[in-house]
This record gives sequence, structure tokens and C-alpha cells, in this order.
Amino acid sequence: MSSGVRDGARMAVLSHRFQAIVRRMSNTLARSGRSGVLNTARDFSCCVLTAAGDVLMTGDSPPIHVMGGPDLQARSMLDFYPVPRAGDAFLHNSPYHGNTHAADHSILVPVVDAAGVHRFTVLAKAHQADCGNSVPTTYMASARDVYEEGALIFPVVRVQEDYEDCEDILRMCEMRIRVPDQWRGDYLAVLGSARIGELAVLQLADEVGWETLDAFANNWLDYSEARMEAVIRELPAGEAITTTCHDPFPGVPDGVPLQAKVTVRPEDGMIDVDLRDNPDCVPSGLNLSEASSRTAALIGVFNSIDAGVPHNQGSFRRIQVHLRENCCVGIVRHPHSTSVATTNLANRVGNIVQRAMAEIGDGIGLAEVGSGMSPSEAVVSGVDRRHGAVPYVNQIFTGPNGGAGAPSADGWLTMSDLGSGGTLLLDSVEIDELKQPIVIHRRALAIDTEGAGRHRGAPGLEVEYGPVAGEMEAVYANDGSINPMMGARGGLAGAPSAQLMRNQDGELVELDICGPVLVQAGERLVARTSGGGGYGDPRDRDPEAVAQDVREGWISRERALEVYGVVVAE
Amino acid sequence: MASERATAMRLSVDIGGTFTDLVVERDLELRLFKSPTVPGDPVQGILNVLTMAAEAHAAPLEGFLRGVDTFVHATTRGLNAVLTGNTAKTAFLTTAGHPDVLLLREGGRRQPFDFTVPYPEPYVPRSLTFEVDGRITSTGEVLHPLDLAALERTCDRLLDKQVEAVAVCLLWATVNPEHELAVGEVLRRRLPDVPYTLSHALNPSLREYRRASSTAIDASLKPLMSEYIHSLTSRLREAGLGGRILMVTSMGGVVDVHDASAAPILTINSGPSMAPVAGRAYGTADLGAETVIVADAGGTTYDVTLVRHGEIPTTRTAWIGPEGLGHMTGLPSIDVKSVGAGGGSIAWVDAGGLLHVGPQSAGSVPGPACYGRGGVRATVTDAALVLGYLDPAAFSSGSMTLDPEAALAAVTRDVAGPLGLSAIDAAYAVLELTTEQMVHAIEEITLQQGIDPARAVLVGGGGAAGLNAAAVAGRLGSRRLIVPAVGAALAAAGALMSDLTAVYSATVPALTSAFDIDGVNAALSGLVARCGEFAEHVGATWDDALVTLFAEARYPQQIWELEVPLRVERFASAADVAAFSDDFHATHQQVLGITDAASPVEIVGWGARVRVPLRAAADALTARVTGDAAVSVRQAYVHGVGMTDVPVRPLGTIAPGEMLQGPMLIESPFTTVVVADKSTGTVSDSGSLIIQPRSIHV
Repeated sequence: MSSGVRDGARMAVLSHRFQAIVRRMSNTLARSGRSGVLNTARDFSCCVLTAAGDVLMTGDSPPIHVMGGPDLQARSMLDFYPVPRAGDAFLHNSPYHGNTHAADHSILVPVVDAAGVHRFTVLAKAHQADCGNSVPTTYMASARDVYEEGALIFPVVRVQEDYEDCEDILRMCEMRIRVPDQWRGDYLAVLGSARIGELAVLQLADEVGWETLDAFANNWLDYSEARMEAVIRELPAGEAITTTCHDPFPGVPDGVPLQAKVTVRPEDGMIDVDLRDNPDCVPSGLNLSEASSRTAALIGVFNSIDAGVPHNQGSFRRIQVHLRENCCVGIVRHPHSTSVATTNLANRVGNIVQRAMAEIGDGIGLAEVGSGMSPSEAVVSGVDRRHGAVPYVNQIFTGPNGGAGAPSADGWLTMSDLGSGGTLLLDSVEIDELKQPIVIHRRALAIDTEGAGRHRGAPGLEVEYGPVAGEMEAVYANDGSINPMMGARGGLAGAPSAQLMRNQDGELVELDICGPVLVQAGERLVARTSGGGGYGDPRDRDPEAVAQDVREGWISRERALEVYGVVVAE
Repeated sequence: MASERATAMRLSVDIGGTFTDLVVERDLELRLFKSPTVPGDPVQGILNVLTMAAEAHAAPLEGFLRGVDTFVHATTRGLNAVLTGNTAKTAFLTTAGHPDVLLLREGGRRQPFDFTVPYPEPYVPRSLTFEVDGRITSTGEVLHPLDLAALERTCDRLLDKQVEAVAVCLLWATVNPEHELAVGEVLRRRLPDVPYTLSHALNPSLREYRRASSTAIDASLKPLMSEYIHSLTSRLREAGLGGRILMVTSMGGVVDVHDASAAPILTINSGPSMAPVAGRAYGTADLGAETVIVADAGGTTYDVTLVRHGEIPTTRTAWIGPEGLGHMTGLPSIDVKSVGAGGGSIAWVDAGGLLHVGPQSAGSVPGPACYGRGGVRATVTDAALVLGYLDPAAFSSGSMTLDPEAALAAVTRDVAGPLGLSAIDAAYAVLELTTEQMVHAIEEITLQQGIDPARAVLVGGGGAAGLNAAAVAGRLGSRRLIVPAVGAALAAAGALMSDLTAVYSATVPALTSAFDIDGVNAALSGLVARCGEFAEHVGATWDDALVTLFAEARYPQQIWELEVPLRVERFASAADVAAFSDDFHATHQQVLGITDAASPVEIVGWGARVRVPLRAAADALTARVTGDAAVSVRQAYVHGVGMTDVPVRPLGTIAPGEMLQGPMLIESPFTTVVVADKSTGTVSDSGSLIIQPRSIHV
């Protein structure tokens, strides 16, 4: 085996081997996890990094998890533990040290060879059902700072040494995290996933040798960079500035205005994303961590181009993301809270980046993906009295936001949001009603809520649910009710989201955009999720596609005529 | 049951896309026949291959068929109808407020950065979806009564729209079926000629999408499959067939043809489900192996199935079409992992200089460049030809010739040039990467099912089995590779080795920390009773039936259940419950690598699998390989050596017990087995080729 030469045949085989390792880690996590957010929604990720901390191989996961954060985390591990040892495992959830937000518990395991040399790092990260916040949600938008947020923060904390648990830390968690058995089960799943990854890398090295793996890592990153460079060289040159505004929220009564400047430089094979001209950190959980700022910008770019380019540190080298310290979409300054850093502002940032790409040239970029954590995706809690009196707290995933219109396809119906990339699974109504004492009365697509376009966005969904008996608390942090998701290149915005309460008399009352809300027996939450924006002028849409949307009840006959200019016969 | 009639013939027919395979079992020997599939009239294709076999047995068709005791049939007709949308015009009746069960599926976009893939259509369009007023809760309580007047109006619309089948799936019908049953009554009265399916009767399982999807697929196939089965049985009877006609199920068993007609979804994945049955039989007969990986390599796909401790693992998440984009069958089905890695897979090099094989395939039309049928791109078959692994003059048992120059030109242009390698090295790289993709498929399914591939025996089948099977076995570190002589028709052979089977389940949740022994025992005895009824239904006695009980269990809050066999038919004491917990912890450790011994175990359902063997243990597995080809030598590639003289051995020339030493090429009917290193081989009593990969016996 010629290890030093870049051999496209050899590299193909080894890239398959590393992909298999990541898949194996993911499979373990998905199947052994306990909480719904982990095993049903699959809100987790796994990756392999080089010893220096470059992201080498990622798997299928919510994009917000893995692009621009694991490298920061792996490097922070080396800051605190310059010589990691075999048997070490580190718990890392600190948004001030490279993690996304406090609710994502990451386990980093250094892969160390027989001579004690640190060769690779494997990382498994999973969103927790609870992380010890001061209120029962992992998305605490109203937190003015990390102290009010209340989450336990682990800035690279060794939780295993010589493959044995450091029980002190686990005991602390069990005293501060709600439903501790569930947390303990999820901790085991995340740790097990990282350990399986470690073992698999060791076995591969036994087979082909560390030198071959090191050479592969270099070659693979160079190859990925070359692919990215080639793609950028084919793009039109240009610069676009796009703006948006997050809806008003606790701590930010006027909302958060944002802008992105995107520059495509085909001659250099580079793309620049500048997020520096944005507000300082805000007294709210909305601030982005450095990881989520970078990742959001990267997602916006990768959503805009050929999906075949590998996503790793090699291709990332071709995108410069300019961030500012103490900026709400930059590098967060402690003790500002980043509790909702993977969703609200992250989605806004990614959306304006991909929309800027669309404005630079037809056939690239994307409209805006529906955003916001609607009551249809709330953390619900209360006491289940169906068999005794058992407290429950869980995030339900009953109604995702609509996807964005794209250059060659309509929006994806169950997209959820930009950060998840639609990867999250959707709850079964029956499973939700079994796990929690709730009834989901309605879940259906909302007619005429799509962002019209040559390729239309996906419509929002309508979800109506309430407790079977007794009271239920729902915590959510929506967006898009005032500032909807914009279309690109002449495409229209999707319909705004909405949250209402149907009271015991059947009347609908508007609710605040941000929970918590107490729902009594006989009352129901009514949510409509955001529609995705359209791509291109709706009058250019294929009339047959418009007619099909009418026949299938996605849009009304009136809308077909008014917005698309298509007469559809009865 | 029919063991005393050893001289009676048993037939099995598998209709594939290209060929209709027939395996004839007579006098404890198997013979294989292939005839082109007749797409417009598949029964004619069956009659053609039967005629071919009758001629080989020097008998008129009628006389030949008169000697047949059992006729087992597998067909992709239902599957193809679903894939091509040629099913009945079907209406979907759903609980009010939930019209989009089939559209939403279970979420989970598989390729998050690819915005060129459109959102998939629902199995039944929204314009044929009707909401039924009435709601039952998770405890079976009626929250809103069924609105019968509205249902009558819905029936008017079904009549207006001239629907041909109706699928009914209401929330929580599995806990309380009264609303579904009432809907069924109204449908029978109002649309007496339109077949319908009720979800709780077909698939009493949790999760409305899966249940609705099974129900919709089943209903949509009823008109078509009833007609097909009627045509099949009447024409076979007319031709002289007197024996029993059975259909292969997705569960790797067989059912009487009339049961298949009543629930056509049961047979939808019948193709790949038979390969592990054959794999199990050969694993046991040739090597006494209990854990087997079965790899069936066709022209376009590579299907992997398993045998674990003698049992064939199943899944409830089988998709028709791509995962997440197609439609879930929702019913237990043999767990199959398919990848697009076949002889027709196209090899190409991307702009960054990385080699890829597939996912595009040249299929059989236009086919590989060497077929000379219009294909120009380099494929796996072309690479194999360049390496000398295939005989250009006698491909597929002499049924076609190949063009080596076209293969060389394609490999040179598409792979060798861009990679800067010689044509030979490039062709080898293509096969090596293909091997890796096959290993991937195997690792994925073995991982899911908790099997260590290195401890399993690999069984290779399918027309393209031989090219990579030995390399795959070496890469996995398998102890042995078996290539059965009937390997090219593994599915059809498996159909002769299968049993009458059924699975019953009971949703009686339980927790080991608060175990309701009486409730669980009542459920278990109910399941055992239903197995007995099944045995009687198929004309057997209680003594013929083999019943296995199992639990679908997990740690509390998990959502993926593991199947754990029960050691007892009823729980007598706390010790039995503790033993069950231990079994669960051990299974969890084995499959997922961790265990939480302090945690109670939650059982979400109990199940019983009943198997009525079609005949006693003296299985006929031995295949007669005829042919008078002689031993020869061909220039072929050996890694580390290059192109060199390699002996070519027709399988028929190898005596059982003779020790073979690689490198060698072994030509068995319809496939060539490539042993490109110093692995050794023998032929078993059943006629199978057994390879001992080099990596294991250095």
C-alpha cells in the first residue's frame, strides 16, 4: 500500500471505512438513547477528527451540530489536556469553548495508540431532554444570562479515566437534571457511541497502520478542499447583502435585526461571509455561540451549492466566516446566554446567507427555510395520572416548519428548520399520546401558507393538542410570526407562524411568541408553523404543478389565479 | 407432512425482472432452470420454464405436472405494481384531523444538503383521503362517537369517485377496534364489490403511519393480486398441476395461495426473503453453521440477509422504494439490506480524482460496455473481464459472449486515465471498491442485528456472486464462504426449504419491576392458542407446529425494541422474570455495546412465531451439476503478481473432498467464482463450493 501518494482508489476505500465508523457510532446512539429528543427526533451527531482537531468525517446528522464546532471543541480539549490518555473521556457542553449550546452534551474520546500517541479524536454529541436549566426546557429564550439559564456547564470535564466513570460528576448531574434516569441512560448511549468509534478507529489502524491513516486524513482534506475550490470557480462572481429581523422576544422587545454580506470570489475559489456588522450580545438566550455562528454561515453556503462536496475541514477552508467578539451572531462573551443558539438566530443567519447566494446567481442558493420552535415542538411537562402520578418532561415533535423553494425543486414539507436540515424524525401521534397524557386533535398541512415561487416553499402545518386531564405546561420559543420567511429571486415569503389557545368555549385567543404557557383540561394549543419561502417568480411556475397543488388541496383555486396566474377548472 | 413421499416432485418458481427461475426437487436432488420472464403475461413465463423442465425430464408438461406434490411461488408482481404506481385506485379513510398520515410519513430527510430531491407523494393522494369523525384515546376510551351519518355521505363520494379499494386506519384502533369494525360494516353494505382492509386486523401495531401504510398498500393490491392468483391457479390446474400451491411471504415462510390473496401485502417482499432460508439450509448442511450472512448479488443490487442462531431476523421498518422516500410496509419482514452494487454498477472518477462505483447502474440494458448492447461506460463486469475473471466466449453458462476490447477501452477511458493507473490496476481498484461497498452493506445489517461478521459463515448467491464473494469473505474475516451449486437461484431454492409460518402479537405492556404475571401469562397462552389454530388451518396437527415465543422489549423511554426469545411458555415465578431481564441485558450488550443492569425492562409487546415444516428433516439440498467442460487455464489477475496463468475448474469436475488451492477460477452454473489469492477450497457433499479465506488460515 503506497501510503504517501494521493491515490484516488485507495482514498475511496478508506473514506468508506471512516464513513462506516461514523455510521456505527450513530446507530448505537439512536438505538440505545432514552429520551425522545434523542431516539425519536435523532437530535445528535457523531464525527471523527484528526489529532490536531480538524473535522475529518461526519455522518448524517442535523447540520447545525457538526460543521463549525467539533473542531473548536477538540482544540479546547487539547488546551486543557495537552496529552490526552487512552481511557479518557471528556464531557463538553460549554458554548464558551466550542460547543453549540448547553443542552448538547458532547463526549470527546481521544484515540491513542499503543505508544501513547494521540492519533484521532471521536466526538458524539446529543441534545438532552433536560440540562438542569432553571425552568423545564432546554431552550430558555428568556434567560438574561447563563446564571438565570441555570444549565450545568462542563467546559471539557473528564468523566472517564482508564475507561472508568468519574462517579462524582455523574452524581452532580443526577442532582441537577430532571428525570435523572433518563439522563443517565442518554449519557450511557453517548459514551457508548464514542467508545465504539474509538474501538473501530483502533481496529482500522491495526489493519492498515497509523501512517496510512494519517496520510489518508491529509489527502482526504486536500481532496475535499479541491472539490470545493472547483465548485466555487464555477460560480458567478458577486456580492450581496441580505437582511432579516428575528421577531420580538423576551429581552429584545424590538426583535433582533441581522445582516449578512456574502462575497463569491471564483477567481480565488473562495467565499466570504461577513457577520460582523450585527448587534452586540443581547440579554436573552438567543445569542449564538461561536460554533453555531460559524456553522449557520457554513450551512447557508453548503445548502447553496452541489451537495456532493464532502463536508469537512478541507472544504471549510474555502469559506471564510468573519465573526466579531461579543456579537449576538458572533463569538459569545461569558456570561451571556446561548440557550437557544442552535435554532432561532442560527436559522435566521443561515437563511440570509443562502438567500444572498441566490441573489448572486440564478440556479444557486435557496429561499428561506421555515423557522421557529412552535408550540407544535414544545417541551411539555406535568404529571401523568393515568397510572399513578408520574412527572413527565419531554420535547414533542409534532409539526415541523416548511422547507424552502430551491433552484430545481419545491420545499421539503417536514423540513423543521435550517439547523436540522429536515433530519429530525416526526413524532407518531400514537407514540406521543402514549408517552404523555395529551391528545393531538389535529395535524394537517395548512392550505395557502406556502411561499409562492417558480419552485414554491412548503406550507406550514396546523397542530392542535391539549392535556387529557389536569394541566400541562408547554415551553416553546417561536419565530416567524411577525417577520416571515422570505423568498429568493422574486419568490414570495411563506405565511407567518401563529400560536393560539382554544379555550373551553372553543374561542381562539392569541398567545405570546414565547412560552411557557399553562394549558388546563379542556383547553388546547393551536399552532401553525412557518411556511418556507419560494424561489423565483411564481408566475413562472409550471401551470401543471399549480393545478396539481390545487387538486391535492395544497393551495386554493383563488390563490392559483391571484398569485400564480393560473386558472384551474373545477 | 409429506415426508414419506420422497419421490414426489416439488417445484419452486421465482419470477425476477429478467429471468424466471425454476428449481425442481426430485429424488433428493435439485435442478435449476431459467427462462426469460414474460412481462406482459408472467404466468406464460412460468409455463415456458415448466415446459423446459418437462422436456429435460423427457415428459409431456401434463405428465410432468401430475407428479408435482407442492408448487411454491415467489413473485415481484405486487412489488412492481407499487413501485410503478399500477395499483388499484384506492381511498384512504383516516381519523378526523389527521388527513396527512401517509403524506408526512415519519419525517427524517436522509440527505440534508441535497435540495434537488422533491418531497415524495403520499401513497394515496389527498384527493382520495377522507376523514372519519370519531376519536378513541390511548386507553381505548371513546372521546367522540363515530359519526355514522357523515360516513354514509363519505360512501356517496367513494361511489362517485369510483374507487377500486378502500384502506381504513383509525387512531388507536389497535386498542379499541369498534370504530374500524363499524366502518367496515358500512363499506360492506354500501360498496359490496370494493375490497377493503382494516388496519387493526391486518397489522395490530403501534404508530399510525406504519399501520396506515400497510393498510393502504394491502388494499391497493387486492384487485390486482386476486386476479393474478386466480389466473395462476386456474392455468396451472388446467396444465395438469394437482399439488398444493403456496406463495412465499416477506417473512421467509410460505402461505396457501388463498391466504395470500386475502392479504396480498404479506407476499410483497417475497423475492429477497427466501435467500436466507436457503442460506440457513446450506450453512447447516455444509458446515453446521448457525450464524450465516447471505449475500445475493444480482445485476443491479446486492441484497444482504442474515441467519442469527438459526433464526432469520426480521424488521418492522422495511421500505418499498428508498428509505424515507418510498412507502413503509409496516409489517414484519425479513431484514434485508440492499445496495446498488452489482455487475452493472458504473465506475467513474470525480473532478477531485476520487474513484466511485455506482450508484448509477447500466443494468442489463444497455448493460456493461462488454455486452455490446449500447452501453459504453465502464462497469464492474467490464473490470472483471479486463482482469480475466470472466470467460468472454461463454458468459452466463454460454448464453452470451462478451467483448473484451470494449471493456478494456471503457475501463481505460473512464477509470485508468483519470486515476493515472494502468488498465489492470484500475480494474482491480474498481473491484476492490465494489468489495468495500458490499462489506459496508454487510456491516450495516450485522451491526443492527448484533452479529460479528467475522464469526459468521458467508453464503454467496446470485448471478454476480462469484466476482467478489471470496474477496468479501476475506475482508470480513469470515471463517468460510459457501457458494451453493444452486446459488444462481438461491431464492427459488430457498422456497423449497421454507415452512408454513405465521406471527401473532399481543400488545400487553409490562415492566419487570412491576410485573403482572397473570396478565402476561394470559396473553402468552392466547398467543399459543392462536398458533395452534394456525396449524389446524393449514391442515397440520399441534404436534407439527413449532412455536417460539418472544418479547419486544427495551429500557424505559427507549423507542427501539429488541426481540428477546422467552425461555418459558409462562412465567411461574419472580425468578423467571429475573432470568428474562438478564437475557434482555445480555442482548442489549450484544447489539448496542452497553447495558444498564440497574434499570427495569419494559416489554411493549409479546409475540409468537409458528412454523409448520412442510416435510421432515431429510432435506434435499444436493444439486446435480452437469456439463462436460474440461479443466483449462486463463490469463487472470492475481494481486501482488499481475496477469498470470490461472487454472479454471468447472464445478462439475471437482470431486467432494478434493482440496483446491487458489489462485483459481471456478465456473459453476451461471456464475464464476474468483479466488484471486491463496485461499483454499473444497466441494461439499451437497455440491457447494466451500472457500476458506486466506486471511483466516495463514
